[in-house]
Amino acid sequence: MARMIRLTALLIAVLLPAAALAAPARYQLQVDGLACPFCAYGIEKELKATDGVTGIDIDINAGTVTVTMEEGAAMTEARAAQVVEDAGFTLGAFNEIAAAADATAE
Amino acid sequence: MAHGRRNGAGGRLGGFAVLCLLIGVAARASAAPETFNTALPVARGEFVFREQFVYRRASGDSTPADRELEVLGAVSVLGYGVMPDLAVFGVLPVLDKELDVTPPAGGRVTRATRGIGDAQLFARYTLFKRNFRGGSFRVAPFAGLELPSGDNDARDALGRLPAPLQLGSGSWDPFGGVVATYQTLDFQVDAQLAYKANTEADGFEFGDEARFDASLQYRLWPRRLEGGVPGFLYGVLESNLIHQGRNEVAGAEDGDSGGTTWLVSPGLQYVTKRWILEGIVQLPAVQDLNGSALEDDFTVRAGFRVNF
Repeated sequence: MARMIRLTALLIAVLLPAAALAAPARYQLQVDGLACPFCAYGIEKELKATDGVTGIDIDINAGTVTVTMEEGAAMTEARAAQVVEDAGFTLGAFNEIAAAADATAE
Repeated sequence: MAHGRRNGAGGRLGGFAVLCLLIGVAARASAAPETFNTALPVARGEFVFREQFVYRRASGDSTPADRELEVLGAVSVLGYGVMPDLAVFGVLPVLDKELDVTPPAGGRVTRATRGIGDAQLFARYTLFKRNFRGGSFRVAPFAGLELPSGDNDARDALGRLPAPLQLGSGSWDPFGGVVATYQTLDFQVDAQLAYKANTEADGFEFGDEARFDASLQYRLWPRRLEGGVPGFLYGVLESNLIHQGRNEVAGAEDGDSGGTTWLVSPGLQYVTKRWILEGIVQLPAVQDLNGSALEDDFTVRAGFRVNF
């Protein structure tokens, strides 16, 4: 029984970090110039055409676009800047969000 | 006989810019003006399609001809973002024009024409932009050409229709201008200066047109923004100051054409991420037209835009 408990604890200790490492990357883009709904589509269309992007959430009031990537994929700041510029706007800030990993850890 | 000047009943239409119906019904985007252009961007590779339905009425003729003009139009616009700062647009109107007139011999006559009008092609380039959190300021010159795709030789039982009643001008007419846009989450202001050089065709030349347009769009709803991309309802107030020179017939100026008009236009616009619904009424605040040129009663415009 004690051996089973130790084995289970060992498995949890190994799998937990692995799960955290495999969590999809998320990024928050601050988009300067975005101020109305119709304009938001241009950014969304560009992001959907980007490899690895699985989710896009736009908050027009905050001027942010949260991008979720598929597992193992990443977005660079250069690519984010290109997408935003192609839509006619300017990338104000680019940050990777650790929320997906935090949720797994809980 | 110089056509377009006198050709039986309805010959003296006065030629006030029935064709100027089309200019400024152009492109784009967002909470953009309804009666002229905006400097807001069209994303690279993005299309914007706009359809605007127009009803224009002009009556109250003080001459014995007692002219009454009605114009119905469906104006299609397709815009494409070539680069973030460069967009191209095509405009194609379909028009139904009808003029009721009392000829010198008495009675009442209706002269009408229906079909495709003169198309427009133009490009707009963002010369200056400043993006900031929650807004932007842009300045964009534009230039293009109006093509003689509309029939300018329509006839009825009374002969050739007067030039202003024709679907097209028969001429290649360049135009250009500059538009500036200041936009925030709460409101948008646009202003435009534009000029169209009308050229001669078949002995007739419409007067050149110069205009100054301004628009204010104010977000009425939602009053408070939270997350996501909600639809915005804008209240719109626009101003169009238009001066048209006198028409020329066989090189001679038509004293009953041209003049200056100031239109004040209240409207509404509902804007979502993928589509826009809008409507506006253009009311003449000032009409200083030459001679017996026919004055406008009002113009109603309503339509939609989609992006893809």
